Amino acid sequence: MIAHFDVDAFYASVAQRDDPSLRGKPLAIAGSSRRAVVLTASYEARPFGVRSALPLFRARELCPQLVVRPPDFARYHETSRQIFAIFAREARAVEGLSMDEAFVDAGTDDFEAAVRYAQDVRAAVRSEVGLTVSAGVATQKMVAKIASDSAKPDGLASVVPGTEAAYLAGLSVSRLWGVGPKTQARLSARGISTIGEVAALDDDAVFRLFGRWGIGLRDLARGHDTRHVESERETQSVSSEETFEEDIQNIEGLCSPLRELCADVSRRLVAHRLRGRTIGVKVKRADFTVAGRQQQVAEATDDAEAIYAAALACLHRVELGGLAVRLLGVRVAGLAEDAPRQMSLLP
Amino acid sequence: MHMCRSEGKRRYGGAARPSPQFAPPYYRYDDIYVFYDDETTDSERWRIDRAVKFTCNTKDIANAVGAASKVVNAHTTVPILSNVLLTAQDGTIRIRATDLEITLEQGFSAEVTEAGSITVPAKLFSDYLGNLPPGIMELSGTPARASVKFERSNYDFHALPPDEYPPLPSAQRGATFSLDAKRFREGVGSVVFAASNEEARGAVLMGTLLEIANDSITMVATDGYRLAKWDTKLSRGIEGAATKYIVPSRALSEVARNLGSSDVVEVSALGPAQNQLSFTAGPTSIIARLVDGQYPNYAQVIPAQFDRSVTVNTGTLIGGLRRASLVAGDRANMVKLAVANQQLIITASSDVAGNAYEELEVQQTGDDLTIAFNAKYLAEILNHIDSPQAVLEFLGPLSPAAIRPLEALDGTTQLYVLMPLRQ
Repeated sequence: MIAHFDVDAFYASVAQRDDPSLRGKPLAIAGSSRRAVVLTASYEARPFGVRSALPLFRARELCPQLVVRPPDFARYHETSRQIFAIFAREARAVEGLSMDEAFVDAGTDDFEAAVRYAQDVRAAVRSEVGLTVSAGVATQKMVAKIASDSAKPDGLASVVPGTEAAYLAGLSVSRLWGVGPKTQARLSARGISTIGEVAALDDDAVFRLFGRWGIGLRDLARGHDTRHVESERETQSVSSEETFEEDIQNIEGLCSPLRELCADVSRRLVAHRLRGRTIGVKVKRADFTVAGRQQQVAEATDDAEAIYAAALACLHRVELGGLAVRLLGVRVAGLAEDAPRQMSLLP
Repeated sequence: MHMCRSEGKRRYGGAARPSPQFAPPYYRYDDIYVFYDDETTDSERWRIDRAVKFTCNTKDIANAVGAASKVVNAHTTVPILSNVLLTAQDGTIRIRATDLEITLEQGFSAEVTEAGSITVPAKLFSDYLGNLPPGIMELSGTPARASVKFERSNYDFHALPPDEYPPLPSAQRGATFSLDAKRFREGVGSVVFAASNEEARGAVLMGTLLEIANDSITMVATDGYRLAKWDTKLSRGIEGAATKYIVPSRALSEVARNLGSSDVVEVSALGPAQNQLSFTAGPTSIIARLVDGQYPNYAQVIPAQFDRSVTVNTGTLIGGLRRASLVAGDRANMVKLAVANQQLIITASSDVAGNAYEELEVQQTGDDLTIAFNAKYLAEILNHIDSPQAVLEFLGPLSPAAIRPLEALDGTTQLYVLMPLRQ
């Protein structure tokens, strides 16, 4: 059995836990720049329409009495470690999705036992860490996650084995894994709005709507999700990005932030003893279109200068189309841990 | 179209066309008939008049345009640089293409009726010519259009005015030398692969160093991890002090590819600053812009002496390395070479793929040694060794190793240096 745990309004809850004066108030955690967006909104702020990713100025318009606090990532990391330690106590495997969210293989095939495990975890997090966690328990990942979403805040929902398809049937297709706004619009044009309607499609219809990829999607809709909880997901890439206070007009202006991003990526690679061969940049233009370029270097690297040189070459290949740049990101992938190092001939 | 802007000219179209006899005072210009008048300047008249017409063998033109189009940068944003320039004069057609770093020009004989120039899209024209059967074709053109007649077919290609085409560098010549074409091909084949192909690591390491003394030439390429060096006697060297050039490696590859049946490559430095090098072999000339920079002091990184060596069958070692690297996984293609008791043992392993073990008979001199290499680099070097037996020389597990053929070709030396992997 699989449990999905998700801390309720994580950043905001940590702030309210640490500062009692914030409790019961509409609270947003956000940066201080002119372009800051809400990272987390407390449950008190949500009735006003304040939610994650909303620009802060919009949030203040919607909720004038909104209290805003800056994020404290060191504190979140520390809290996250405590919570994950609790998840792992009885579990067979823990697959962290973010600092405050994880799939856990409960280590039992017994439904009742798994529900008891999830309740124990919720109680332990509440008493030992002082935060509330919502949980979903099911035989499979997607159903467990949908269940925990529906249980928020501070709840537990479970789906009895064998009833997955029935549980999913009435839900909106947007809850299906991999269905975003575009796919949802395409489906709704065909009169499909619930997961049950996707489950009822035959192979022909699935191919026409989604291509080959659609069979897996329909399997999910029918309640067939065979993915395991994978503990210790390998790091695929290390990246760093920055949204600028003001758009940057030209490549020259991007060089210095690019250098800082590369230095940041380099520090993290070194800390994890990783080196990578694929170096790429991501650019969000003033019109919010996103472009990226990447390249392979001959020798895997963790060196800030080498990453910068390759990233700059990639940046030169990005077509900006005369537009200013809003966001710049650097990513190193193709990682190997503690790989042997090619020695250099030249000083 | 520049002609239409002038007030002094009238245009005819459709039914009112004069008969297409092209006799003065009007001339066909891209389906527009332009009248000369008193205000027409000489240079305008020259432009209008500058047509071209010739008859040639399809194979000749297909070869020349094919060679030139390989130089064209497919991603250029300057339209004229996607084109090849055709110039017809004195019974010869010269085809030229450039990406501003490398310029290639190839000539062939033809029957020129009207001398002149035209530029046509390189890829399109080359693909078209490549699909023509052997035979005789006729090309006639104006600055804006090239028309090809071949047997019962007729094609028009959009052209761009030839006077916008980048000019050749100044013909002012500096040092010149020449080299046996076969030797040149060997040299380029021996070293160019070792140059870097990452722009991010700079233009110098992407280049190949040519060192010319009065009787010898040395070619060196390195990407900072391996180094290739080749030298030979020159059929005609330069006078005076030794000269060094850093040539874009791909320019050398282009020259080697276009040697055809020529016996000799003539090389000259060009331009007032001598910052271009031209290579001429038979009907083909390639002009390369030299890399402006300081080449690493390669002599310093080649150890003067080694204290142990193995002599091994080149092909057997390449086979072993390639098989072993299959299980090396993503760990930098690492293979370990252990030398002991006149044997070379290759091992490799990774969590994902498994283990490899290969035993080779070798002739060992000096102490035993275990050293790790990127198998890809070592195999690539061995692949360029022109000898059934290769010699590998070592100083220690963290020092550069040398790889060379046991028997060198007459008058030529080939040497490779490879840095090991540090675990």
